[in-house]
Amino acid sequence: MQRKILEFANLLRQSGLRVSVAEAIDAFQALDELSLDDRDVFRDALRASLVKRGDDIATYDQLFDLYWSGFYDNLKNAFDSATGSLAEQGIDVQQLLEQIRQMLESGQLPEGEMDLGDLARALLTGDLNQLEQMIRAAASQAGAARIENMLQIGFFSRRTMEQLGAENAAGELRDLAARLRAAGMGDAEAEAIGKLADRFFEALRQSVRDYMDRELQTRNFDYMERFRREALFEKSFYSLTEEEIARMREVVNRLAQRIKNVMSIRKRRLKRGKLDLHTMLRRNAGHGGLPFELVFKERRKDRPKLVILCDVSSSVANVSRFMLQFVYSLQECFTKIRAFVFVAELGEVTQTFHDHEVSKAIEEALEGGGVINVYTRSNFGMAFHTFWRDFLSAVDAKTTVLVLGDARNNYNDPKAWCLRDIHNKAKNVIWLNPESPSAWGFGDSVMDKYLPFTTLAEECRNLRQLSRIVDRLVL
Amino acid sequence: MSSPMESVDAVQKSLEAEGYICDRRIATVVYLAMQLEKPVLVEGPAGVGKTELAKVVARATGRPLIRLQCYEGLDEAKALYEWEYSKQLLYTQILKEKISEVMEGTRTLREAAERVGAQDSVFFSDQFIVPRPLLHAITADEKSALLIDEVDKSDPEFEAFLLEVLSDFQVTVPEIGTFQAKSKPIVFLTSNDAREMSDALKRRCLHLWIDYPSEDVERKILEVKVPGMDRKLAQDLVTLMHKIRSLDLKKTPSISETLDWARALLALNASALEEDLVKETMNVILKYEADIRKAQQELSRMMAKPAAQPGAPAAPADPARKKGTLH
Repeated sequence: MQRKILEFANLLRQSGLRVSVAEAIDAFQALDELSLDDRDVFRDALRASLVKRGDDIATYDQLFDLYWSGFYDNLKNAFDSATGSLAEQGIDVQQLLEQIRQMLESGQLPEGEMDLGDLARALLTGDLNQLEQMIRAAASQAGAARIENMLQIGFFSRRTMEQLGAENAAGELRDLAARLRAAGMGDAEAEAIGKLADRFFEALRQSVRDYMDRELQTRNFDYMERFRREALFEKSFYSLTEEEIARMREVVNRLAQRIKNVMSIRKRRLKRGKLDLHTMLRRNAGHGGLPFELVFKERRKDRPKLVILCDVSSSVANVSRFMLQFVYSLQECFTKIRAFVFVAELGEVTQTFHDHEVSKAIEEALEGGGVINVYTRSNFGMAFHTFWRDFLSAVDAKTTVLVLGDARNNYNDPKAWCLRDIHNKAKNVIWLNPESPSAWGFGDSVMDKYLPFTTLAEECRNLRQLSRIVDRLVL
Repeated sequence: MSSPMESVDAVQKSLEAEGYICDRRIATVVYLAMQLEKPVLVEGPAGVGKTELAKVVARATGRPLIRLQCYEGLDEAKALYEWEYSKQLLYTQILKEKISEVMEGTRTLREAAERVGAQDSVFFSDQFIVPRPLLHAITADEKSALLIDEVDKSDPEFEAFLLEVLSDFQVTVPEIGTFQAKSKPIVFLTSNDAREMSDALKRRCLHLWIDYPSEDVERKILEVKVPGMDRKLAQDLVTLMHKIRSLDLKKTPSISETLDWARALLALNASALEEDLVKETMNVILKYEADIRKAQQELSRMMAKPAAQPGAPAAPADPARKKGTLH
């Protein structure tokens, strides 16, 4: 049982759940306290000790069904049907097995004791529990955990049968039949033993295949899950499907939450400042100068102001989407956020975020927020110029300006001097470009013109890169 | 102990006796927590009875409940113990003369320092400690039930120091030593999942996820908590609640809202759920204007007889969902 639980814990781990050794031990202890007859109780007990996140419960439930829905039952079915079909041929399996057992025990056999292998013995005694354990052991010996697709079922089944020593056992049973006959058993019975061995081996083979099939299902499940999780982080923003965008939104939220946690630690560290002697002396004057009440200096929190310029042309819309989501999930980390969107014209969408909740505001902003026309060709020069002309006052020495765009300017005038002026006024200018640096400055990309006037320019093509940048932004 | 909790069923029964209707899952975890003496981390949406569970378990086992409400900025001084600084200072002032007595006859500074050093345990002793809920639960003579409510609201670093309490049931005060629990309390931590708890904390706890109850369970809860309600009305109410929950709302109403609503309807002497009545009282269960509007729009469809519609259509969590006309 312990082995099975450990294996199950392992399986959960492979599916991306975090299960520690201590938790597996908890599971053992929990099961000690309970009777295992009740499947639901068993499931709940394992869940309480192994799964600690609400999100993982669905995964756990599916895996639980796959793993614990009893391979034993499969085995029993296979052997029951074998027994059934033998009975149709007029062979009473129970009686036959009993007869064999008696003959073996009474030592009626010539040429001394028979030395039957474990497998043959398990088959003859109908000990399915033993058989199940043997199949599991053999399968793991055969490396069944590495099974990856349907085509390998045959291969791994064969190897498992080899590991089980099926050939050997078949030989032993034939041998046994011959000996029994020599020991004075009727022909009919000897023949029956042959049939019985055939049917049982057929059942065994079937069970092993079933086992592989289940194994494949569980492994595949892990694989798919893990793949989905990992992929989301690395996947380029360019090629997200609707469904992935929805999932991504949750991931971004969670990341934002994490950053907030880190921020809160930092804030608290700041609060635990030095003694404020001045105020303390004054406040404790009534106690004859004895410092009964302690007063600490509260340090001012240094929260950046943020101005975001988002290219919302279709080529970079997704980067803008997640950046905006990030920034607005982290609103309290900034003193003030002003958001602008542009394609060629530039317009402010800060108000949109005040009026609507985040996800809706983002969708609206990406459609131009009702202030700009998004169905034109990108013109960074024009956008920067508009910003320089109308909103330069929004930038001061505490402001970080964040530009999101691919700098593909459609051969318009880049007007890099506007960015230079912005750069001179701002604390930082950070440029996030979804293209890789090797493409900067080629074709109609004017990234190289803007590059001198940025504090930091980074490739930002997937979530991992994005979260790293946000990390740097607030910390 | 007012009732023995010797099996999962017994736990379920004794919780029920205290007016807490739950499924076997909850009972199983509570049972395990008592047997293994491990804390339970209870998570789930707001208002499904997480805090209530701890209270009820305390009542059912006859233990006193010690509650620690977490919030941002909660630190060990408020949760664990605090030195009574002013008292210490006051004592030093009062004992000034005594101190000079102690110091009498010392010639060197070193000697004086040693004498004072020999006395310093006086000022760092139990006498000057103000015990807060955690230390209270640890040092209590009888078994207690400790509820650490909304632990997700606390800071991550607070969690770190909960670890010692939760795994070993002990508290270390550097100046005095370690307080070991005389009897291990049963501990419940509740979380609304505002943030994810650290793995280290989770590892030390059993985990219990309480979700919205099934219709059956919710109806039973309603029967117990709001007696005197018409059966048919209760059934309708619960059915409608489940449909409302399937909408994509900002804040999904939970059991406590169901109960509030039932009480409100009872106070209004309602005998059946009629559309107008529901519309008027909807603000009892929904707390956002936008939610109320949405639910009201969907209402006539939801209140149609079940035969007319194949199953409650769950609102898909599709980002591109059009906010279209709903009739």
